[in-house]
Parts: sequence; C-alpha cells; structure tokens
Amino acid sequence: MERIEADMNTALMVDGNAVAGELQRIFGRDMTMAVARCAGCANEAEMGALMAFTRGPGVVLRCPACQAAIARIVETPSAIYLEARGATYLRLAAQS
Amino acid sequence: MQPLIEWQAGTVTEIRPETPQTKSFTLALPKWTAHRPGQHYDVRLTAPDGYQTQRSYSIASAPEQVGELELTVERIPDGEVSPYLHDVLVPGDQLEVRGPIGGYFVWEVGLGGPLLLVAGGSGIVPLMAMLRHRAAQRATLPARLLYSSRVPDGVIYRSELVQLSDRDHALELFFTFTRQAPEGWTGYRRRIDEAMLTEVIRPFEERARVYVCGPTLLVETVANALVRMGLPTELIRTERFGPTGS
Repeated sequence: MERIEADMNTALMVDGNAVAGELQRIFGRDMTMAVARCAGCANEAEMGALMAFTRGPGVVLRCPACQAAIARIVETPSAIYLEARGATYLRLAAQS
Repeated sequence: MQPLIEWQAGTVTEIRPETPQTKSFTLALPKWTAHRPGQHYDVRLTAPDGYQTQRSYSIASAPEQVGELELTVERIPDGEVSPYLHDVLVPGDQLEVRGPIGGYFVWEVGLGGPLLLVAGGSGIVPLMAMLRHRAAQRATLPARLLYSSRVPDGVIYRSELVQLSDRDHALELFFTFTRQAPEGWTGYRRRIDEAMLTEVIRPFEERARVYVCGPTLLVETVANALVRMGLPTELIRTERFGPTGS
C-alpha cells in the first residue's frame, strides 16, 4: 500500500475517530469500536479506524484496505442523512 | 446504555501558554464525567448571527483530575476556532463543549504495556493524557515516548515530561528535531523513520501497545513502518489530525 506523500487528499484525511461525536449523536452510543465490513473487499475495520474525509460538505468514511466509500454523512438544517451502502454490515458489541 | 453526550457550558479557569503556537485551557465542567485517556471533546462556537462551527480537541488532562478538563490547542493561523480560543478567550469565559468522545484511540493502565507512544507536533496531547494517567496511577509498566518536533521551542510539555521521566525509570523519552535541533544536541535530528522506530522499540522485543498521533503523513509513515516491522495491527492505534499548519 504505497501512497504518494504529496497527495493532498491523503494529507487531508483523518480517522473515523474524528467524527465520533457525529456518529454518537446519530446512533446514541460510541461507534468507534463498532466494526464495519466493506461491501467492496470484505475487510473489517473499527469505525474509528476508517479513513475520514471531513473537509467537504459532509463526511465520507472510506475503507482503510481498498479505499471504497463505506458511508457518507450529510447534515441539512432539518435532517441528517446517513448513506451506508458501502458497508455489508456494522457489528456493534451488545450493551450490558 | 451509555448516556447521550450533551453540549454543556464549561467555565475557563486557566489559560497557560505551552509554546509560541499552543496554549492549554482548563475548564470547569458542571457535568464532568471521567474520560478515558486518548478521548476528545468537541468545542462549538456560535456567532451572534447563529452561525455555528465546531472542532474536536484531544483531552490533555488525566481522568484523575476530577471536575476539570484540560485541552491543549495549537493555533492554526487561518483556522475558525483556534484563533478565537487563543486570541479572544479569557479566564471566566464560558465555552460550549461535549464529550468525552471516542473509544478507539484510548489507553488505560488496565490495558497493560509495554507502551510505545509516537507523537508529531501537537499529536503529543492525547498521549500526554495517557502519561499523566499512568503517573497518577503509579503504574510501573515500561513506556517509551518518541516525539518529533520541528524546533526546540515547539516541544509541548517539555519540562513536565522531563520531570515525569526523571522520577520514573520505566518511562523513557526520545526527541527528534526535523528543522532545527537545540545547540549541542546529540539525539535524533530527522523525521521519524523505520530505523528510528526499530531502535526505540527494541527493548520491547517488537511487542508493544503503540499509539501514534500527529499530522496525517507522519502517522501514515509510522503506521506503515510498524506493520512492515511485523507488529500486529491490532496493537497499533492511530489518530491523524490532517495536514500540518505550515
């Protein structure tokens, strides 16, 4: 997995951990340890470890293995849209 | 169920300059809850016209500092939030925050060690929370910090780090300077690379819990090198904070 160091997109990338607040607001619990399975390559990764792109109008979460878009989050004045067709599933630990 | 995180107004009790570009802000929180070292808070500013903007800042304090929260913030010249915090906020002011947030980039004494912390610039902040927590718990598990700065006066928490390490032989510090080193410096003076990581991790026999925080390109370099060195990926936790300020 070699990347070009000067790639601006890479430099702007943060971790899924950076959008933990948004995810927690949507799901009502911490999601950074929830596992997302990529619909493209079947890699499993904690949501906190996904590649997050937050500088656009909305947030895009990508698979750290194949870089496919796992989920997008967009907020409008009246609603939050979560599109997650890039995930086969999310696996959340049962809460006690 | 975990409680929903809500916005609350903290009161600024102290503002302390750390370096020319960073300051630490201590807040008293009406609804304080103990955090896990490595977690962050979101800070929200609201303009008179209702425009809101928010940023995430790592917690610098240990959870043992009950009732208070310390955030260390680097001033980003064209930023929306950090110039306000640096140039306008004064003790006594209120600041809207929510947290603690995140369960991925966290370390507690109970998770054990040895512990390898790798920081670039203000990436030291969540790692400092871990070291302060480790000290507050009087933990003796081996810990090593590899901390990359551009210039000597960019080293955040320098005197506290040296104090911690002086009275605790299980904690060792490794500094590297990428632009200008202190006069007479005999340590590292280059960007963190695989050879440096190999030297720092050697006594741990390449088995350590590793936390890497800094600019995205530094984190990419370090994480890729650690994987090439054969460290199990499940022991490596990363937090990238995007491009560097300059």
